[in-house]
Amino acid sequence: MAERQLQCTTAAAEFQKAWFAGLRQDVFERKKPYAIAQADMPLELFQVMDVPVVSNQWWSAIVSAKRLSGYYLDLMNAAGYHEGLCRYCSLSLASTMGGDPAKAPWGGLPKPAMLGARLTCDCIQRVFSLYAETFGSEFVALDAPGAEQLPPRWWELSRHRWEELFEDHRLDFMVAQFERLIQALERLTGNGFDEARLRTLMEGVNRQEEILEEVRELICAAPRTPVRMHEQISNVMAAQWVRGSEWAISHARAFRDEVKARVEQGVAACPSERMRLMWVGAGLWHDTDFYTAFEERFGAVFVWSMYLAFGPDGYIRYGLDNPLRALASRTVSMNEQLHNPPWANEWIVDQARRHRIDAALILRPLGTKPSDTGNRFIERALEEAGIPVLPIFADMVDARSWDAAAMRGKVAQFLESVEARCT
Amino acid sequence: MNHAYQTYTGGVQFNVPDSSPEIEQLQQSYRARLAGALGQSRPVAGVTSNTAPWELLCAAGYFPVLLSPANGPAPFAAPYMEAGFDGRTRSIFDRLLSGEWSFLHTVVIPRTSEQEHKLFLYLREVARQEPSRKLPRTLLFNLLHAQSAEARTYGLSRTRELWKALGPASMEELAKAIADGNAARGALRALLRLRADRLSGAEALPLLGAYYFMDRADYARLAVRAADIMAARPAIPGPRVMIKGSMLDHPHLHRAIEGHGAVVAAEDDWWGSRAAGQDVSTELGPLEAVFLKYYEDAPSPRVFPASVADAWFLETASTVAGVVFYISPDDDVRGWDYPRQRSALDARGIPHLLLREDPAGGDVPPECHDRIEEFTTRLKG
Ligand code: SF4
Ligand code: SF4
Repeated sequence: MAERQLQCTTAAAEFQKAWFAGLRQDVFERKKPYAIAQADMPLELFQVMDVPVVSNQWWSAIVSAKRLSGYYLDLMNAAGYHEGLCRYCSLSLASTMGGDPAKAPWGGLPKPAMLGARLTCDCIQRVFSLYAETFGSEFVALDAPGAEQLPPRWWELSRHRWEELFEDHRLDFMVAQFERLIQALERLTGNGFDEARLRTLMEGVNRQEEILEEVRELICAAPRTPVRMHEQISNVMAAQWVRGSEWAISHARAFRDEVKARVEQGVAACPSERMRLMWVGAGLWHDTDFYTAFEERFGAVFVWSMYLAFGPDGYIRYGLDNPLRALASRTVSMNEQLHNPPWANEWIVDQARRHRIDAALILRPLGTKPSDTGNRFIERALEEAGIPVLPIFADMVDARSWDAAAMRGKVAQFLESVEARCT
Repeated sequence: MNHAYQTYTGGVQFNVPDSSPEIEQLQQSYRARLAGALGQSRPVAGVTSNTAPWELLCAAGYFPVLLSPANGPAPFAAPYMEAGFDGRTRSIFDRLLSGEWSFLHTVVIPRTSEQEHKLFLYLREVARQEPSRKLPRTLLFNLLHAQSAEARTYGLSRTRELWKALGPASMEELAKAIADGNAARGALRALLRLRADRLSGAEALPLLGAYYFMDRADYARLAVRAADIMAARPAIPGPRVMIKGSMLDHPHLHRAIEGHGAVVAAEDDWWGSRAAGQDVSTELGPLEAVFLKYYEDAPSPRVFPASVADAWFLETASTVAGVVFYISPDDDVRGWDYPRQRSALDARGIPHLLLREDPAGGDVPPECHDRIEEFTTRLKG
């Protein structure tokens, strides 16, 4: 694992570990309920009902980073689930279906009181039903109508004009489903839902994302990036999973201050920075060292991933008279915004320009086929904008077919060609 | 009399006994697929799956037809569409971009799978980026399949919106379309009943599948007659099996299994046994009745929960001697169901076999035949 350059990164990692240990203790000793949910669920509703949530994708990333994905996925395949099935959102399930409990990261996932997922890809209702059966827990599913109208430059509308951006019928439907989820959370906790508390939390999320926007602007403007991409991700996501909370806001602030100080002192993540890279897609969780592997030889630094950039554009909502509806607008189109045409390609090109990107690497998750969508449109749009692109055919969590050396060689070749273009 | 015909995938010959002009016409429509819509005076509306509400399209003056090209190279799709898409979605996208289907006025894409939603977005984006390309109008029908009060209310409202978007049409036209659709379903059911003992699976699929490419009043007339003719045949011997898993828009796997002395009496697939289901109710308001038909009584990979999705399968499994699971090589959905469904069969003592090889080229590989032979021998014993 590459060295940590920011103190904040260590603080974020420590917080997450302690948070998870506290969660296990609460569940085992105090019998408190917690939930496992897909990352694109309205985590805010769980928070205001005092039900901590483990994000399914976060846990997948932890299992993968501990190099356990092969072990668990082999077990799942042996149970009759074929090898062509998508792994990103099912690795956590695999890690609960058997195997040696002593191997599980951080002691493993305790039994959740509830599981929650938006039914995006066709697999997910199946994965979460199995999860629910394995644990004997309730599964709340929110169905996901597709976007029909997708006006240009969504990120210029999403903060103030979200009502018109996300289509009334989809917002109404999402709010109705939220009400069902709230009822389930009320049954679980015995507490009533408090709309004012949600509004306050949403205001907190806005504050947090405004701070993260400052970080994004610092990275855009600094002559050389002050913070490596994978450290951006660690800091941002530690805050996003508990977004709007006191800790999240103060961590975002500490992160911003540290980045700002580095910019003011002229500290660069890679002092020999000559090439600014963009990583499109989910993180390569099983090999995060990959992200620093091209600094020494090429001065090539990963500057951008969706994780920081999406915070301000995807989460800020002004006009919180009806916080539930505003939350619905944040939830209803994440997949279109991040992964599908026209929204993903348009936004990513805009981000590439603002971040002065020289070349882009695009994760093409072959082992996670249903999530390899929209990428050809993104590749074409970047190339049209004059940014060379290298597709990386790999799985975000499954290391079984990842040849680290060969892949580094391939990227090196690509960067040589980018260098040659620039000189 | 034996009637040999070529399937639309080309090259493979089948023998279908007891032919008649009606049977031949049904087979011809199944084979011709979209070509049958070419001479239509009505504007042609392509649909991408079984859950597009045929009655609404028909009442609005369209000739609805299922988009179902043979899988194969997709050079027009390749610059935009990733390899992970299933062959069917990729081929539909490819033909639309190629201009080969420029006679289509409209395409209606139900949100019946995630790939279909992506297809809608991709088509929209190509149209936006390349306005000179001639593409049909594309509508997304946001029909959801989770069984919840909210999805039901939402689906009904989206059905009403689709009805508006299709243009002015009268409730009388809709009532007529419902009657025609129901007559066609009645005919489908008559053919399906024959699968108990008179009609093999390989024979049945073209006769049933023609339903998606024809005017439904015509289909009803021809299929009723075909069923009458087939009813007079002697019973076909052999253990009855069901196919479960990935969709099959050709009869090759059926033929391979039946070549080993079994009879494919059912498949959990809208190309076969699930084509008809119940009639559209004539007791309810027509829009609500049409919506409920497609929401409650049409198979889709997104039907949720599993107990609802599996109900037909488990009921039908108890009527056959064995089940052949076919999970296509590019599958990323059905494989999640397979272990659960396999256990359900084990619990009921129903034998099963899993095949992963793709028969779309005309036949399954020899090792597959060995496994099928072993399985059918076991069933016969
Ligand atoms: S990304 Fe993969 S695992 Fe996750 S929901 Fe989509 S298909 Fe399923
Ligand atoms: S939308 Fe993309 S980034 Fe968000 S949870 Fe799904 S896969 Fe991850």
